Amino acid sequence: MKLLIVDDSNVIRQRIARIASDARLPPMHIVGQARNGVEAVQMVRQHDPDLVTLDLTMPELGGEECTEQMIALKPALTILVVSALSDKATALRALKKGAQGFLYKPFTDDQLVAALQEVMLP
Amino acid sequence: MSDLSETEIKVFTDAVSHYFSQLTREPAAVRGAYLEREGETPPVYDYSGRILVGGQFRGSVTLSAPRAMIRHLLVALHEPDQSEENLRDTVGELANTLAGNARRHFGEHMEISVPITAAGAFPGSLAARDRRYVIMVNWKTYNACLVVDIERSN
Repeated sequence: MKLLIVDDSNVIRQRIARIASDARLPPMHIVGQARNGVEAVQMVRQHDPDLVTLDLTMPELGGEECTEQMIALKPALTILVVSALSDKATALRALKKGAQGFLYKPFTDDQLVAALQEVMLP
Repeated sequence: MSDLSETEIKVFTDAVSHYFSQLTREPAAVRGAYLEREGETPPVYDYSGRILVGGQFRGSVTLSAPRAMIRHLLVALHEPDQSEENLRDTVGELANTLAGNARRHFGEHMEISVPITAAGAFPGSLAARDRRYVIMVNWKTYNACLVVDIERSN
């Protein structure tokens, strides 16, 4: 499973990378870490990930437009949004644009593992 | 322009408590929440993170915390990299999370920016309100300060 991590926070990217190696998850190969939506779209093009964890509030290109562009490049891409934006409308819109799951920040290790397991279900 | 209610200020105190409880299993305590008094400025610690607010609101949310508190938080998150960059990143992400969580109450029309961070205080004055809400937070042995400077713009 090829994973791309997208978040403007270095600490959050490192944390997601660490949790992604959890034994309860299928083996994951982190193909890239992007700090904004523009980098994320480039990395989808270059590395063809299977799964993306995606922040919404980012500089240059935000998560919602980024979702649209990534899905246009790879319709089968699985996207888990990981965001602090806790209003229902934002979550529903992200799902409508093609994300498979939404995890609110702040999240525990177990919550991220569970969210990843859920979006990876066949 | 209209003011935030006491219930709406509680949205932020609850978000602070939830953040630390969720990530460290030790909730932060709110030591006090008050309206800034004339001539007084809220405490400023080693690092500050600020989120600008727009849409149907205007202003900012600023969290200022001491270095030792942020380092302790990184330890709790199993994050070994305690570089200057990561300390500033963490205080920015914390401010971002508090403002983002507040949208559960305020809705999507409270637009929030990406975080900006500073060592110590932000230069210049950015106050949207005459008197800002100051929320004093305690986690473990550390004190931090959250300043809610938001008002409705319609």
